[in-house]
Amino acid sequence: MERIVRIGEGTVILIHVNMLCSKEMLSLHNQFGRHGVSAAMKPHYYICHECDEISKVSTPHKPGRYKCPRCGTKLYTYKPGMVEKIYAYNLAALFLFIVANYFPFLSFHVAGSSSHANFTTSIFYLYQEEQWMMATAILLTTIVVPLSRILLYCILFGSLYHGYLPRYAAHMLKTLEKLLPWGMLDVLFLGVLVSIVKLVKMGTIIPGTSLWAFMLMVMVMAAAQSIFDPHQIWERIGERKRLERRKAEV
Amino acid sequence: MRAIERGLTNCPVCHAIVKVPPEGMNEVAYCPRCDSEVHMRKPQAVQKTWAYLIASIVFFIPANILPMMHVVTFAGTESDTIMSGVFYFMETKAYLIAFVIFTASIFVPILKILILIYLLLSVQKGSCMHRKKRKKLYVLTEIIGRWSMVDVYVVGTMVALVHFGGLTEIKAGLGANFFLLVVIMTMLAAMSFDPKLIWDNTKECNAKQ
Repeated sequence: MERIVRIGEGTVILIHVNMLCSKEMLSLHNQFGRHGVSAAMKPHYYICHECDEISKVSTPHKPGRYKCPRCGTKLYTYKPGMVEKIYAYNLAALFLFIVANYFPFLSFHVAGSSSHANFTTSIFYLYQEEQWMMATAILLTTIVVPLSRILLYCILFGSLYHGYLPRYAAHMLKTLEKLLPWGMLDVLFLGVLVSIVKLVKMGTIIPGTSLWAFMLMVMVMAAAQSIFDPHQIWERIGERKRLERRKAEV
Repeated sequence: MRAIERGLTNCPVCHAIVKVPPEGMNEVAYCPRCDSEVHMRKPQAVQKTWAYLIASIVFFIPANILPMMHVVTFAGTESDTIMSGVFYFMETKAYLIAFVIFTASIFVPILKILILIYLLLSVQKGSCMHRKKRKKLYVLTEIIGRWSMVDVYVVGTMVALVHFGGLTEIKAGLGANFFLLVVIMTMLAAMSFDPKLIWDNTKECNAKQ
């Protein structure tokens, strides 16, 4: 999607509204003038983070994947409507996270007696057994990290969607990047499946509402992660910093 | 053109192009865009990776010998190590589960450790062989690292589900703790390695050919 905008003295600028939503692009334009908008159209130089090769991408505003010419690493992807999609996926994930933590997760029946587990039951029992390390690790990787990632995504992409770049956007993106390998909901999903198969011969397992919500949450978060590419947002943060510096000099 | 020849590198966080002062490889610059510290190469990448790797190898031994979990019934306590779990599923003909457990908890950690040792040795030797394949191996270790946590979560879920007030209980064993440490250490090792080191002898390699 492209849009032509006219500003005084006959200047015509082509605005690409693929990555950032249109409302936001216009506000960027109002804030920064034509330099802010045209930054997205200049050829970009990238240094491959795997092999250190410098490569030039002459059409950074066209949707697609850009790969390093030497080693084939993905430099960046440009997909239309990233902001809207990630915001939507993470709002859904937040809702599903609450559902997954509120409803029963699994119940297990053996010969008349039964036990019920919530999403966090394993952490409580491990603390009771004084397995501090395991309990803390499971708490961090399945509750704290995923939840803070979802919240950060919601705040950052929510405000981008409503047309403004939050003050601490750089810190939020930095934290998101750092937390990425430590959120392990997808691994937990495999673990739950394995233990269900392990136990299914010993008794009856009844999946609760929470398990379905959890499954959906894993899928939604994977979908959001697969289209996430922060380059365009970093570009804007850099642009804002440059302007601030110029103002400070004046 | 490689970035190091021009004294440039990219910020590890926001990928902005940053000029790093030339004196020494460990000189620090600050990213103009996100203010993070930028080095030409990750500082002491090889040493740190070796350290984490050795730690993970040390933890890997008790993780396999000590029991992962104890099944406590009124008849007594039964302890399960990783391998005994795999054998149990082989005997009961649940081959898929046996395969998943074996892959996630034995094959993947060993594979990761071996790949990292190979990468470190080849970087230290300044090898020119298979650079593209080595880069692929590194990406592989980064991706598969987290999946070894499966076993820890299996223990956690079993502890939560098999809990019949003193009659039958499953308790986590010491082995699970060590296994957790193995996973964390191998993840840290993969993170502290710098794949750019694989390509740093490009000039010499081109001259040789």
